[in-house]
Amino acid sequence: MQLKRPVSQLHLGLMAASCALLSSTARAQTADANQPPQIDQPLQIDADLLYYKENAGRVQTIEPIVSLKKDFGDQRVLDGTFTLDSLSGATPNGAIPAHQPQTFASPSSSSLTPKPGAKTTLYTIAPGDLPQDPHFKERRVAGDLDWSQPLGLDNTLSYGGHLSTEHDFDSVAAHAGLSHDFNEKNTTLSAGVSEEYDRIHAHGGNPVPGSDYALYEKEPNQTKTVAGGLIGVTQVLSRNWLTELNYTYDRSQGYLTDPYRILSVVDATGLVASYRYENRPDTRARQSLYWVNKVALGSTVLDLSYRRGKDSWDVGSDTVDARLRIDLGHRVYLEPHARWYRQSAADFYSLYLSETGPAPVFMSADPRLAAFSATTFGAKLGMTAGRNGEFSLRLEQYQQRPTEQSSSLTALQGLNLNPNLKATIVQLSYHLEY
Amino acid sequence: MRPARAAVDAAWRPPHAPEFEVLAREDGIIAVYFTAMASPCELLLEATDVHAAGQLGSAAAQEAWRIETKFSRYRPESIVSVINRSQGSAVAVDLETAALIDYAARCHSLSQGRFDITSGVLRRCWKFDGSDRVPNPDAVAALLPLIGFEKVLWQAPLITLPAGMEIDFGGIGKEYAVDRVLALVAEQFAGAVLVNFGGDLATNRAPAAGPWQVGVERPDTEGQARLLLELRRGGLATSGDTHRFLLRDGVRYSHILDVRTGWPVPAVPRSVTVAAGSCVEAGILATFAMLQGSAAESFLIEQGVQHWCLR
Repeated sequence: MQLKRPVSQLHLGLMAASCALLSSTARAQTADANQPPQIDQPLQIDADLLYYKENAGRVQTIEPIVSLKKDFGDQRVLDGTFTLDSLSGATPNGAIPAHQPQTFASPSSSSLTPKPGAKTTLYTIAPGDLPQDPHFKERRVAGDLDWSQPLGLDNTLSYGGHLSTEHDFDSVAAHAGLSHDFNEKNTTLSAGVSEEYDRIHAHGGNPVPGSDYALYEKEPNQTKTVAGGLIGVTQVLSRNWLTELNYTYDRSQGYLTDPYRILSVVDATGLVASYRYENRPDTRARQSLYWVNKVALGSTVLDLSYRRGKDSWDVGSDTVDARLRIDLGHRVYLEPHARWYRQSAADFYSLYLSETGPAPVFMSADPRLAAFSATTFGAKLGMTAGRNGEFSLRLEQYQQRPTEQSSSLTALQGLNLNPNLKATIVQLSYHLEY
Repeated sequence: MRPARAAVDAAWRPPHAPEFEVLAREDGIIAVYFTAMASPCELLLEATDVHAAGQLGSAAAQEAWRIETKFSRYRPESIVSVINRSQGSAVAVDLETAALIDYAARCHSLSQGRFDITSGVLRRCWKFDGSDRVPNPDAVAALLPLIGFEKVLWQAPLITLPAGMEIDFGGIGKEYAVDRVLALVAEQFAGAVLVNFGGDLATNRAPAAGPWQVGVERPDTEGQARLLLELRRGGLATSGDTHRFLLRDGVRYSHILDVRTGWPVPAVPRSVTVAAGSCVEAGILATFAMLQGSAAESFLIEQGVQHWCLR
């Protein structure tokens, strides 16, 4: 043993640091002998307010979303989301603009011509304008509940359900998935299945698909089911690079027609002769391949993905999506976002029907089934708020450009039959961890 | 009289710890054994009630496992893993983690950067398995940009680790657990308590019959040159490289690495044992001494601490 020496400055510093460590944590928690080991298992709360507005007085939605995520330890996580959205504004009914005024009835009307004692709401579209139903209003309530837990040593089991209801549409869905980690958790294989059951009961009844609009034929409630599956692999390629490849397949069956969409039927010169309700095939099989990469470049994180989609209606699509998260100081980050999308038209899509040609069995003028390209540009600004909170604001501009917008028919000259769509998206989010 | 082995009541026995054992010794001490942090752990109580001692032992083991689960870099759900996975984004930590990071920050500054909780990435090329596999100097140099606590943005409760960097509480965690468990048990128990986690230990006071007899394992000698000490109060910690070194061309590469070069500190003692007010304090002094290499002894003398150095 050595001679006793005075305590050095360094030793004093270490004594002070050690005392600070032991006393601060002794105060921070007084462990109870009978308590199980306690690990921080935060409750995460996400509150979002999404605002979406299309140009030219078209649809706007306000969507509050509240999501709660509770970690029960041992990687057992319960995740619940509640969404309430309200949609209002004008929505295109599928008919093309004309040089003459056009009159339509809102779907809730009981007939196309006003009758005593029956409710009829008509709207007239000015020459050159895109026919849109101005009375469109919808409210949706949706809830999701998901549970995930480890199964054995390297597997995670998850399952959950979804319920949503609107005035004219109800949906129930369930899903289950299993993922397996191996290669020191650097590789994850996942597989999942899902099943959805929907009930469609349009305002004023579901129209008979393909029938003449003037007859106003309606059917009772209709249903559809969607069954799907997914397989995927996630691979950590290096400390800074994670890649994921997913293949999904789903098959919808039942009433896939949009009950509110019609098509214009024009004569040989392009004058509107009549309208028809659209009619879609009653099955649709979709496949998609999705590849996403997350790459850390210093403190900046790049998220780059590509999706290839294809379905049995001949709609093929490509999506490229890029996000870059840039830290501006340690409390604030900026996330620029760019997305490019392109799709080909469904094989039964047409801007309008012709009186002269053979009548098709399936038909739709829904702009969502047209060939178009779209871009989204925007950015999200996030900042930490308080001890465990984060506040963010997202601003995005969406633009959709249909490939086919005009016709060579004389009566349709000078009309934009499927105008560009622009939309603005504003999202306010607050994330809190207890 | 034969030592009585107490039957442990299933109601409070931790179900996932088959090695949890309570033993009433002949010398009036009740010993509780369990395993935590890859070390054999021992809780000695100056007590007669085996059942009560078992309950205290259970609380001690739970606390050790809690700390291990929370701070182990090997567990994906630990706060250390969360921080290490954050890829450059800020992580908010709780008070306990904040206190440990504060402590590591002060030790980093007091050691002029020699003690560094970000140095663990060097393990990617240094595997101290007793072999002669000395890494390629380029591989070591490539890791240096990922080391340096000064690159970490620490403003409690937010820690921001540049992407690719890692922290771990090796060199602090076990000693911290010893002091925490001692505080926890001493809060509920009036007698003398000694907590020993794989040779790092602390006690609140000596039993009435006399000071604790502590045997410290010395490396290479496998118990032959056990250091026998009498401990009345405070902590005792040992830093050594018994089985953790590389040997090549007659040069012994110690697992004590110099964060400035990424290479082992030369002329490190085989073992340094320090006695101090707490196990945490003893542990950090022993670690600092090892980092001094050939100057370990003079460093310890300068600090005015009781120490036992083996070369």
